Amino acid sequence: MSELLRIENISKRFGSFYANKNINLTVEEGEIHTLLGENGAGKSTLMNILVGLYQPTDGKIFLKGEEVHLHSPNDAVSKGIGMVHQHFMLVDAMTVFENIILGDTNAKEIVIDREKRRAQIQELAQRYGFRIDLDKYITEISVGEQQRVEILKALYRGAQLLILDEPTAALTDIEVEGLYDVMHKLVEEGKSIIFISHKMREVMHVSDRITILRAGEAVATVKKDEVSAQELAAMMIGRDLAASSFEKVISGGSAVAELDHVSYNRNSKHYGLNDISMKIRSGEIVGIAGVDGNGQTQLAQVLTGVIAPEEGTISLGDSKILVYDPNNFILRRTAHVPEDRNLQGLVGDMSIADNLVLRRVETDKFSSLGGAFLKKGAILSYAKEMVEKYDIRSRSASQTVRSLSGGNQQKVILAREMEAEPDLLVVAHPTRGLDIGATRFIRQQMIDARDRGVGILLISADFDEVLELSDRILVLFEGQIMGEFPGENPPVDEISLAMTGR
Amino acid sequence: MDNSRKNLVNIFVPVLSILLSILIGMIIMAFLKANPVTAVKYLVIGAFGTKQNLGTTLTRATPLIFTALCACFAYRCGVFNLGGEGQFIMGSIAACFVSLKFGLTGIPAVIVALVCGTVAGGLWGAIPGVLKITRGQNEMIISIMFNYIATLLMGVVYTNWLREGSVPQTAQVPKESQLARIVPGIRVTWGFVIAIVIGLLIYYFLFWTSLGFKFRAVGLNQTASRFNGYPVRRYMLSAFIISGAVAGLGGAGELMGTQFRLINGFASGYGFDGVAMALIGQLNPIATMFVALFFAALRTGSTTMQAATGVPTSVSDIIQALVIVFTVAGMALTQLPEFSTFIGRFFGRKEAQAV
Repeated sequence: MSELLRIENISKRFGSFYANKNINLTVEEGEIHTLLGENGAGKSTLMNILVGLYQPTDGKIFLKGEEVHLHSPNDAVSKGIGMVHQHFMLVDAMTVFENIILGDTNAKEIVIDREKRRAQIQELAQRYGFRIDLDKYITEISVGEQQRVEILKALYRGAQLLILDEPTAALTDIEVEGLYDVMHKLVEEGKSIIFISHKMREVMHVSDRITILRAGEAVATVKKDEVSAQELAAMMIGRDLAASSFEKVISGGSAVAELDHVSYNRNSKHYGLNDISMKIRSGEIVGIAGVDGNGQTQLAQVLTGVIAPEEGTISLGDSKILVYDPNNFILRRTAHVPEDRNLQGLVGDMSIADNLVLRRVETDKFSSLGGAFLKKGAILSYAKEMVEKYDIRSRSASQTVRSLSGGNQQKVILAREMEAEPDLLVVAHPTRGLDIGATRFIRQQMIDARDRGVGILLISADFDEVLELSDRILVLFEGQIMGEFPGENPPVDEISLAMTGR
Repeated sequence: MDNSRKNLVNIFVPVLSILLSILIGMIIMAFLKANPVTAVKYLVIGAFGTKQNLGTTLTRATPLIFTALCACFAYRCGVFNLGGEGQFIMGSIAACFVSLKFGLTGIPAVIVALVCGTVAGGLWGAIPGVLKITRGQNEMIISIMFNYIATLLMGVVYTNWLREGSVPQTAQVPKESQLARIVPGIRVTWGFVIAIVIGLLIYYFLFWTSLGFKFRAVGLNQTASRFNGYPVRRYMLSAFIISGAVAGLGGAGELMGTQFRLINGFASGYGFDGVAMALIGQLNPIATMFVALFFAALRTGSTTMQAATGVPTSVSDIIQALVIVFTVAGMALTQLPEFSTFIGRFFGRKEAQAV
């Protein structure tokens, strides 16, 4: 086998942050090469460099021994690199055929020669054993078929190297099998595949070689046959375990929230919950460890009343919840720092002050005559107080929150939620995308809240964060709890293996 | 951007758009071999020059203010009510029935007619609202469709149910039941005052009450509002009903104060005019009223302009259309990041954005 792609010392810097640092990687012809890494390990950045969306800060890319510069996606396509994105880039209102020829820059003719192209596509489909009706609309075909259309699209453009970004994320088990077949067929025909994943089972099943990325660096490249799943998990997640800077507690408090056999959308591995029972006590932080998209979103949302469980019950304090509605949960002293700050947490075009009082405008403190007259002065001075207390860096309290940095937006949410003096605080990805200063501040706030007796559910894709903050750790995988671990001296190896479903 | 600076832009763009449109209008006038300055002078005289002309302008502005406020309120609350015209018509139909069939006269007739018109408009607005929140239907399409239904229903009313004589039109609202004029001899009625009061009320509601605050929050981000415990769907339905009621009141007022009878073409175009005005007014109720007044002035003044200088009234239509184009384009422009940078440089300080 000869080498198709070689990446030498590729680095990509955003500001002072290295998303990729000195990455070396080779892909042979006819090889399935897996990139394994957690969220934020730098997989996407590296792939975006390969498809010409990003320019590397440093380093070289060679295709078949020749150095190439990929200035645009078109460059990448013309040099035989094709990508199938996790979220498909298809036009729903068009047919399969139209999608495949859409934007094909090799075309020189003015009028599309449909017959010729159809024949070409059909020939391709036949060679790789795809059974696809070219005249169906995208909306009419299954997700698995859509993915095949994406692959076919890349092949039609002459791809030698296919990048599949978490291709199994949206597929059912049977479709995943079909995908494996397609992948094997592709490599038999001499194509190469870069397979991006963080699921141990499929990585062990399908790869020839595996490169592990961690915090922007390539930790190791190993042959599949020479490594065990356990070793891989350790490489992917494993790190010098710095002792947590926070003291862990074992809470003897009463349960502020209890889930009793809760299920939601049970058949979905990625967007459902399957028979979850757990307790959150006052004065403890329960961390949910797990790779993103294993039901974390749904867990946060059933616990804040955004969605209603299909089976099972939730109790807050002593009372069973009958009405699943965010307001009902808020009235029962539940606070929520949602995973998507801008979409779910804030009204971007309103001011800091307005967002701080979002839930309390009708209280006597902020309006008189039963809500008929807003005390704008009181709102503003309260906001100034909060800006001070929560260190929200802004020019004024009447600045729109949209114009704040992510860290300061998060502080606005945190201020609003903490000031409501909750019993239960549900926090999802609290420091995602934040700088070190804001991260530290927000973590300290959570610890302080715990020490005041708040029960906290922490959901985070950042494993370090879970280890750092949690007094108890639960691992969520495909909507199920895989195990419970202590927060004090957590057994990292066991937890990381549980996160990958073993 | 700061709120204050954003407000500045919100005023600056429409004003600049209006000036630019008038400028282009004047160039067109010059091409038509008229003296643009004279033509504009007659346009202004025609709109505001005499008490009678001013009265006509305010009269023409009245229904536009109502439909514009209807759109303005709905959009502020995140529902896209394009059915202002239908709601306006339903209001006028209800008022027409009250004044012709209920046997009431005088002030009671006026009050009952206005109230019934408001209710009718609100109910007509409630239908697309209910379909949206319970069935997820697109409220824009439904509300537009309901415009046609209302228009055709009005047709039935003036050709059949309330037809008077051989001409397809309803009987006239009796003299004693008509909305009174503010100053005898000048056309403008108390309907104009009601429009202004409604506009101020809407402004107060949106910006000075806690419920209005919540309505606006829903309008800006439904998801965040829901996560924060707001009854989002109830608010959206309420917004639809209120905005429909405003249009319905406008329709009743128009019937009782200006037109006095339903006839083919009644209220035609008011709905979409209102939408355009609300957008030019940056969804600010007070600014929206001024825009409506400006459009009414262009329409009233253009007749005088045509008579005096021969410039056709369609030039005023062109100016109106240009205002819409420029405002929409201008606002889109200000959304670009380049614009922020430019403004920042213009004011001599960098956007102090903490990273």
